[in-house]
Amino acid sequence: METAKKTQEERGAGFRRYKTKNLVIELLPIIVLALLFAIYMTVITIRGYKMELQLTRLFNQAIVLVTVATGATFIYALGSFDISLGASVLFACTMGVLTYNATSSVALLLLVIVACGVGCSLLSASLATFFKIPPFVTTVAMMSVLSAIATTLININNTSGGTASITLPLNLLDPISSVWIKALIAGAFILLCVFVFNFTKVGRRIKFLGGNPTCAKLSGIPASVYTIIAFGIAGLGVGIGALLTLAYTPSVSSGTAGSIGMNIFVAIVFGGMPISGGAKSKIYASLIGGFSYMLLNQILLWLIGTSMNGVAQIISAALFLLIVFLTSLNYRTRLLPR
Amino acid sequence: MKKLKNATLLLSALGCMTLASCGGGKGGTTAAPKIGVLVADVSGEEAQAFRTYMTEYVAKQYGATIEYTTALENAADEKSAIEDFAGRGFDAIISMSSSDRAAQLATCVQNKIYYTVGSGMLDDKVYETYKGNEYFLGQIGPSMQTEYEAGLAMGQYYKAKGVDHVGMYGAFIPNPMHVFRAAGVIVGLGDTYGEASEMGAIVGQIYADNGIQQAKIGGDVTVDYMAGFDPTTTYSTLGSIIGSGIDAFLSVGMATTFFSQNLNDAKIPYGDIDAFTSSNGTNMSSGSLNYLAGKYASSLGPVYALIANAKNGHSIRDAQGNAPSISQSYAVATSSEEFTALAAKESGDTRIFSKEVLDSMIGDSVTYDAFVEAVQKERI
Amino acid sequence: MEQNRKINWKDLGKRTAGTIAIPLLFFVVLFSICLGNGRMLISSSAGLISFLVSVTTITITTMALSINLNSGRFDFSLGSMSVLAMILSSKIVYPLLGGGAGSAILMLLFSVIIGTVLGLISGGIYCLLRIPPIITSLAITLIFEGISFTLTGGSYVMDEVRGSSMSFFFGQWWAILLLLAIAMAFVIFMFDHTSFGYRYQSLRTGQKLAVNQGIKEIPNALACYGICGGLMGIVGFLQAGITTSVNGGSLNFASIAIMFTAFLPMFIGGYIGRFSNDKLGYFLAGLSMGMLNAFFSTFHNEIDVSVQSIINAVLLVLFLIYLANEQKIIGWFKKLFSKKNHAPAEQN
Repeated sequence: METAKKTQEERGAGFRRYKTKNLVIELLPIIVLALLFAIYMTVITIRGYKMELQLTRLFNQAIVLVTVATGATFIYALGSFDISLGASVLFACTMGVLTYNATSSVALLLLVIVACGVGCSLLSASLATFFKIPPFVTTVAMMSVLSAIATTLININNTSGGTASITLPLNLLDPISSVWIKALIAGAFILLCVFVFNFTKVGRRIKFLGGNPTCAKLSGIPASVYTIIAFGIAGLGVGIGALLTLAYTPSVSSGTAGSIGMNIFVAIVFGGMPISGGAKSKIYASLIGGFSYMLLNQILLWLIGTSMNGVAQIISAALFLLIVFLTSLNYRTRLLPR
Repeated sequence: MKKLKNATLLLSALGCMTLASCGGGKGGTTAAPKIGVLVADVSGEEAQAFRTYMTEYVAKQYGATIEYTTALENAADEKSAIEDFAGRGFDAIISMSSSDRAAQLATCVQNKIYYTVGSGMLDDKVYETYKGNEYFLGQIGPSMQTEYEAGLAMGQYYKAKGVDHVGMYGAFIPNPMHVFRAAGVIVGLGDTYGEASEMGAIVGQIYADNGIQQAKIGGDVTVDYMAGFDPTTTYSTLGSIIGSGIDAFLSVGMATTFFSQNLNDAKIPYGDIDAFTSSNGTNMSSGSLNYLAGKYASSLGPVYALIANAKNGHSIRDAQGNAPSISQSYAVATSSEEFTALAAKESGDTRIFSKEVLDSMIGDSVTYDAFVEAVQKERI
Repeated sequence: MEQNRKINWKDLGKRTAGTIAIPLLFFVVLFSICLGNGRMLISSSAGLISFLVSVTTITITTMALSINLNSGRFDFSLGSMSVLAMILSSKIVYPLLGGGAGSAILMLLFSVIIGTVLGLISGGIYCLLRIPPIITSLAITLIFEGISFTLTGGSYVMDEVRGSSMSFFFGQWWAILLLLAIAMAFVIFMFDHTSFGYRYQSLRTGQKLAVNQGIKEIPNALACYGICGGLMGIVGFLQAGITTSVNGGSLNFASIAIMFTAFLPMFIGGYIGRFSNDKLGYFLAGLSMGMLNAFFSTFHNEIDVSVQSIINAVLLVLFLIYLANEQKIIGWFKKLFSKKNHAPAEQN
């Protein structure tokens, strides 16, 4: 009897250990973010950097990535991914600037930016859905097409004395360039995404489709409809991201938003979301991951120096691997993952 | 759990590393400026030569802090880099990146940090807007007119050699400096573009065409034109141009990086507007490069002098209180001997804009006229 | 027996037609446009070398990409692997031979060996950490780019990959063809004629079943990564030879672009493989893309790089639409032709 009780206690302790371990792993991305932020603030304080300016800068660097990546989480939750999002931001910015320069209408500028973001994404989704092409491959093609069109339009309409670029009047978007307004715009979009992802049928079904497409299909969930919805939300993120990009700097060159496409991957995974999508997808992963990645890179550049940025990139990648490894401990398989 | 512990240890180590490296602090109270340099190109030989001069010569001679950015891809990167420098208490920015110079200037003014242009020139409109601003210290480099003249001189050189058929590389048109150089080359060869033979008209057409259309080049000298760089097609195009029996190959930039081996092997005489680098020395001595117009690394020195003066409370200004806009011309070598003579003045601690020369440009007694004269004085 | 032979001939004809249809279509269309404009697809010996390098590079990159992608392993690090392999190789060989006799061959050899080691490192990290390969390849890309940048100071490697030996090698069309033939023969042998290849096929088509049958997937995966690395070492050598430089300044995923050039040939190659052999398919797809690049080069003044990108992307989408809806499209064509054939009869 006593032995049985002891065994039961041991089992209970084991279960508690298991639960604690899982909880720690679950919270690891947040712990990492907090730690990185603490290191960042320490450097700023000890070295006497201007805190407000550096924090504003960090926010501006991360907010576009976080916004676009939060929208993209819907695509990733489906178990797919979109490599054309950076090019979509570039295209939306280009069309927005050209529209304003032709019409002098801010309303049209906003409309075109959002419409282009959503339109590009829906085009990718439509090609994938109606023609049954793997979504990733359509986004590879879209990336080439959108970059090429935007670059050509920028070259033709170039107004710069330096690198070919097109530009809005310098202070045109000043009303939305403050941190608070940007936070409000991005925050509203992120809250909308959190609501749709966590509290609606759409979010649940997208995760179901990502986790087990066959089962979802047999349950009567139309994959094509939810693919289009996921891409549509991502497109809205692209549009808002493009607006935030222009609010920071009013000019667009072929290099605009160049690094966003791949950084979205890194941000989402860094935030603790499995790349395979499904039920373990987390809508806040890109928010945590985006800021963590930016903080990590900034800290390394400050500590190591820009002349050694190759080394900084190596360390950043190694830490990324380590953190992803730890966060993946919750869903490891016997077979090699694919 | 063990793995988790290891991760915690590693992250703690990162934290310790941070604290350890924070010892450097803000540094001493020296009057030497802290300068941030915005760069888009970190790989090119010219960019590397400038960097070596600034970080290993100027910084050491004056005890200045000179820090380069990583390769900046767009206007947002440029703005963010300026904010970072401003946030770390830097005194000045040297801009060698040109995604959006108006935004760069606005950011510098907003953050009360000095701004200078070290490569290329501002648009006239932007210069006019900021020339009286206390944070804009000036621009020193080849003007668009100088770029045109560099191309013109190269075209005339080969025309005088009696060429009938040339290859021409337009590099990264519509980059303005390449547009102006290309227009100069066409005119220098005695050809026309869209029947125009005047700088403004040709440049306007090239911008309107979003590049050079070979069919619009007319005249006695036949030009086989190519532009851009794509590893999958460019070398095939170059092969066709070399195979078409050209007398020479004229480039408005980067040919010595991308094509020198091919042109040397085919023994095609070629000219480029690039920089006085060691590999170009080899191309001239044992290859077929026979015309090089280029900058030399220490031509960036006067920009440092502008900043040092401003840091000491003596900004160089003209009679109207405007920041200087000084055009620097290119050095030209047409033989290995000329190249060697110039290179000898620009190696290691021997510099054309040496500390001695720069010292004469820094100080309360240095006037605007004296400064301009020192920049433009023939030193080669 | 007689009937069987007839069926075989028909089958052979169908297979041959299916195998050569796409490259033939590319050739006819591109050659006709060139002819119509009084130009040649390849007009000089340098153009021929460039064409062969293009075909070889695309074919080998496509094989490297497909080895892992066909097994569901997405690898972003191919480009960074090729760059780092060539940088390391040139930094080892140049001090020994100074670009003189034999240095091209030695550089190629070292590039392949180093590429293989880099591939094994990449595969090793994947097997060790057991996280999805797409994620490990992101980190590996950043690490390899960072190492390249650190080794070169971010500059172009030029002197090391130039010299008489490289000039000689890249002046011989047969040397490039021989390299392609050796690489293809090796891949075909390894994947179609060895027990490693059978195990690879088994794991590719049914991972769980294969593992339960006792096939060890880790050595197989490691070998795949090693072979990919070796192949990308060849690509690095070819790129350095044709561009006469290696850019060591690529950071932040700038090296992944080469992977995207292999998507269209991979799908075309897979399609051709249905009629013959997928590796032969990759070669014929590489040949088709090489012709397209030669065409772009011939019309470089009319078709700029942006338009080239759009054409490539549209071809990719159109081909995938065809692949995914092949039966429907064939059905439409059949209907269309049968209507046309019947129309006069109905009128009569």
